[in-house]
Amino acid sequence: MKILFFAAFLIYAAAVILQFAGTAFKKEKLLKAARFVFLGALAVHTVFIIVRGVAAGRLPLSNQFEFANAFAWGIALMLAVLRGRMKTDWLSVAAMPMALLVLTYAALQPMEIHDLMPALRSGWFGIHIGSAVLSYAAFVLAGCVGLRYVLAVKKGADAGDARLQQMDFLSYRLVAFGFLFLTVVILSGAIWAEQAWSAFWTWDPKEVWALITWIIYAVYLHLRLRAKKQGVKMAWYLIIAVPVVFFTFAGVNTLLPGLHSYG
Amino acid sequence: MKKIWKTLRSMRFGILLLALIGVCSVLGSLIPQGREIAFYAENYPTTHPVLLVLQLNELFKSWYFVLLTALLCLNLTLCSLVRIVSVVKGGRTLHESAARLPNEAALTPEELAKLEGFLASRRCRKTETGGARVYTRRLIGRCGSFITHLAILLTVLFGAAGLYLPQVTDLDCMPGESVTLPDGANFAVRAFRTQNAEGKLDYASDLTITLPDGRSRTGVISVNHPLSFGNYKVYQQTYGTAGSVTVTNVATGGSDDFLLPDPAFLSLDNYNGLWVLAVYPDFYYTPEGVLTPTGSATGDYPNPVYLLQRSEEGVSSQEVAFPGTVVEVGGLSFRFNDPARYPGLRIKVTPGAVTTLLFASFVLMIAGLFITFFLPPVVVKVDGEGYAVGGPKPEGTRLELRALFEREKET
Repeated sequence: MKILFFAAFLIYAAAVILQFAGTAFKKEKLLKAARFVFLGALAVHTVFIIVRGVAAGRLPLSNQFEFANAFAWGIALMLAVLRGRMKTDWLSVAAMPMALLVLTYAALQPMEIHDLMPALRSGWFGIHIGSAVLSYAAFVLAGCVGLRYVLAVKKGADAGDARLQQMDFLSYRLVAFGFLFLTVVILSGAIWAEQAWSAFWTWDPKEVWALITWIIYAVYLHLRLRAKKQGVKMAWYLIIAVPVVFFTFAGVNTLLPGLHSYG
Repeated sequence: MKKIWKTLRSMRFGILLLALIGVCSVLGSLIPQGREIAFYAENYPTTHPVLLVLQLNELFKSWYFVLLTALLCLNLTLCSLVRIVSVVKGGRTLHESAARLPNEAALTPEELAKLEGFLASRRCRKTETGGARVYTRRLIGRCGSFITHLAILLTVLFGAAGLYLPQVTDLDCMPGESVTLPDGANFAVRAFRTQNAEGKLDYASDLTITLPDGRSRTGVISVNHPLSFGNYKVYQQTYGTAGSVTVTNVATGGSDDFLLPDPAFLSLDNYNGLWVLAVYPDFYYTPEGVLTPTGSATGDYPNPVYLLQRSEEGVSSQEVAFPGTVVEVGGLSFRFNDPARYPGLRIKVTPGAVTTLLFASFVLMIAGLFITFFLPPVVVKVDGEGYAVGGPKPEGTRLELRALFEREKET
């Protein structure tokens, strides 16, 4: 089974290299090849997740390896969907390496399949953690869009440029999507915590950092929707927010022991 | 006064409060909370006096955190009121306001026909107002923000009630025994096991809850599956291991089984008898042949050993016993058994509808966010010369319409 994971990893790496080469040398053939290789990697990755889920007899989302693996898959899937809808490549060059980076982190984690501990055997398991995968992936992609926005501005594009407006709106849509799912994460987690630990909220470090992430993106949405803030500052905001997402995902489990320190 | 009122309901104040709550949360996650003062003195030798004065050891219960949360609730309340007023007022004049919008783009008659055809294909509702045609769709989207803010407010309020109002009692109960709370509610544990039907690790108790009015309910509780009855909710919280001993009166032959979670003195006359001091999971022998009890990393008891103290005629001596060992002291015979597991229960009494209202707030929040982000209202005014996009979130429609004409130009 591990061979599927590493095959997906290598194919993603090949797609990233092709994408960079195609972008750097402005070769459409290389970019087209990158797209197909990337879709191939996503297909192999999907097969790996299904096979692991069948082998484990549950959703493969229980420890740091499985979550990071699903997180990378979430980024790749959303990128493929966005790429299919927008018919442009500008997001791939930032987002593909991000998926590969998360998958690299997964590769560094223990990969053994374990039985779920009693506290994780709940109907909320899939909703809570699956929503986290979607939410974090959307936030990371929003950061990638922000990065492309900043680079485009540095290359001389001005705020009235239609492509910049499209980027700005896409980043907002991604944050809105991620924010909805992060809210589902927090609320489903509260209901689950009440069933498992008897309290909706325990100020556990993971809960606190999920709240911090929620606040950061709530502030973004208020600035964007009510104060009509757009442009390069908001793009930077999204870029700076990405490390917070990564800390909530991996840093908390590693550095701040608590009730969520499962794997 | 007007200025204060305006500040309290402003978005800027709300963002400031969120930012301050965020900063406090970062500190509260980095500094361990609720530990004994000695812990802070040891781990923060130079800064702990300041840390304690600033209540950073109990940050989420500190006066300033509570104040920030209260101010956020006030901000949300005022903000929600302003929003509902704007939704109601704006709804009445929506079409008139849209009809007055200056055109964003001039279109040829063919382009206008195409635009109106597109809007009609999107099932927009057409209204003739003030010489213009106003197309609208998904007007419920105007309520999304109000619903979301109201739901956040309710979540904070009912969440606080759900956190601080319940009365929580933690207790251990030996299998076959029961405990009664001061209010008369009784909780009887009939059995406890640490494996489920598939042989996987689980913690489950067979439990009967009897309310003060005599009604009772029997069920199984396990991790993630508490049992509710009346206002009581019982959780499988922890477990422990107790020594198990069968005591027989040598003279009469009568016997009884005891589970001993704590040290206990078992005696007929309270003078001659046996102290069961502890039960250990495992042991080893030193090179000198001395038995030394040890703990267990897994929580299992592979080789249990009892540590005893025999008291006879004022003389005490220590000894050990294993499951199966029989010891006679003061007319009693003690037969030691394998240690028994017992559950630690958490009993929570929550006032009436708090949990239901909190769950309703959760549902409302998700619905509000969905409406806000995924059902943005479409308001487009079209006249003989061009079109304009209105409504609270015009950006998506604007980009969509622009793309429509760009596609047209490309083809």
